[in-house]
Amino acid sequence: MNTVAIDIQQLTKEYDNGRGCRNVTISVGKGEAFGFLGPNGAGKSTLVKMLVGLTAPTSGRATLFGEPIGSLAAKQHVGYLPELYRYQEWLTGEEVVRLHSRLCGMDQSTIKPRIKQLLDQVGIGKRGIDRVKHYSKGMQQRLGMACALVNDPPILFLDEPSSALDPIGRSEVRELLKNLKNEGKTIFLNSHLLEEVESLCERIALLNNGQILRHGQVSQVLYTQTKWRFKVGGFTPEILPWLSETSGIAIKRYMNPSISSATSVLPVGQETVWLEATIDNEEQIGWLNTLIVNQGMTLYNVEPVKERLEEWFMDAVSGLSHRGEQ
Amino acid sequence: MTTVIGMTWKELMRKKVVMMTLIMTVLFIIVFSFIARILGESSGIDPSQQLVMQFINGASILTLGFFFGSFILAFLIIFSSFSSISGEAEISMMQSMLTRPIQRWKWYLGRWLGYTLFGIVYALVLYIAIVAVANTYATVPQSLVLHIQSFLLFALTVPLLVTVTLLGATLFSALGNGVFMTMLYGAGWLGGMVEKLSAGADMKPEMARSLYNITGMISLVMPADAIQRKMLAVMLNVDQLAGMFNIDQQMRGGMGIGQAPSATFIFYAGIYTVILFFWGMRRFYKKDF
Repeated sequence: MNTVAIDIQQLTKEYDNGRGCRNVTISVGKGEAFGFLGPNGAGKSTLVKMLVGLTAPTSGRATLFGEPIGSLAAKQHVGYLPELYRYQEWLTGEEVVRLHSRLCGMDQSTIKPRIKQLLDQVGIGKRGIDRVKHYSKGMQQRLGMACALVNDPPILFLDEPSSALDPIGRSEVRELLKNLKNEGKTIFLNSHLLEEVESLCERIALLNNGQILRHGQVSQVLYTQTKWRFKVGGFTPEILPWLSETSGIAIKRYMNPSISSATSVLPVGQETVWLEATIDNEEQIGWLNTLIVNQGMTLYNVEPVKERLEEWFMDAVSGLSHRGEQ
Repeated sequence: MTTVIGMTWKELMRKKVVMMTLIMTVLFIIVFSFIARILGESSGIDPSQQLVMQFINGASILTLGFFFGSFILAFLIIFSSFSSISGEAEISMMQSMLTRPIQRWKWYLGRWLGYTLFGIVYALVLYIAIVAVANTYATVPQSLVLHIQSFLLFALTVPLLVTVTLLGATLFSALGNGVFMTMLYGAGWLGGMVEKLSAGADMKPEMARSLYNITGMISLVMPADAIQRKMLAVMLNVDQLAGMFNIDQQMRGGMGIGQAPSATFIFYAGIYTVILFFWGMRRFYKKDF
């Protein structure tokens, strides 16, 4: 990992009602996009609030580019988009961004062009002269992005950045985030939109009941090493128990919707199917290949099972108790 | 901090509560002018008492004006600031701003100064309007020194109310703070009314003592009404007139001053404001959003 942008060590926040988060340890590199996932009430927002200096930790420590969280020096590095926020409805969009730029101590000469550039970038454009009270939720979310970016911060904490947006808006925000990542910004993304996390983040962590349940590279998380799929031609149902028994590998037929039409035109007993095998090591893949070919079947394709993040998420939290929102 | 003050002023200029207050002020001044004219015209019945009656009429008009004026001022202060911290936190507006590189104490002070300065400017306009109307129809004190002292006392309720409201905003929800401040100010006002009414009334010493104790305790918690009474006492030079007549018994419709608080009480109100200010600032500094 390159320079550490966010370093969290045993960070804990305990509330009287038992909520909060405990002993969270995460390190996020400069320029990295990190996805933070978890069910409602898991403590994700609490952690982010501690990192941006809104909430004091009970114990543990964290730094942003080496500066202790909550310090003015750390806040200089931060752009933050809170969840479920509203801006001053008596101000115009431009005035809100100007207010944030002044709070950041930006130079007066740079503020005006920066506001115009940002409002165009987030898709508000000329509606920046309208009062915020006339903005839709989506427009307010765009305005929030503009405010978060106003001081060109190296670290962005985004709490559900596109939850109020329509599909077009989400796509635009995703594109914007990708561009920001390409510019080298560190992104800490707290989102329920797992597709968003999957497309943007290199690493993720899953929080449940205030504790990190799983974490790792998205690429590792999404490829379940123990499951492989085999596209087999000339398959007969009787061969499946024999194949499992002979190889000693748990194999089942996998119903792939994409090949159902192809199957329907084949004669019964001579189908092209997908088989899914749960293996212990890669040598078993070769062994299974050999068995399939030796039985006169055609092996079209062999691939590891790539899980969608949603499946991974559901798998990780299923059966666990959640605190929920109450 | 100037950014926060500017933001507060812009907020006040554009919020409906300020517009409502300004409309109420204009209506009040119009109605007050009519009443002042009627009261002013009724003086001079007995030529031997004309000077005293003119003074009593002027005092009555001023008392009436500041009785309602202090109400409008409190309305502006409380209802423009009661949702400033907790209300902003409830809609996450505060969260996006407090992550900016600004010290929390500066934010709190900026908000406090914004509300207080705005309130003092409004108080000055209101003070001048009330005195001008009263001066048109009756004899009012002309001493500039007295007016400066009176205005400072009139304006002292502004930092007091802003301080208590901001402290309440760190303790309660926006709605809870609005209710709390209305109740608190109402209790102070009620205590003041009891004080005024009992001042001119003939009652047993034990009963009077009990009433003074109750109103005194209320004044300690919410000194706004007591400060207003002190302001009128200073403006009307009640201490020097005490040997000549009882102004409370002379004034109409219970529009008296009652027992004006001492200079020590004003000092207490100042210290009270300072303590509550730092308490509020500390709570804000430590608050988790």
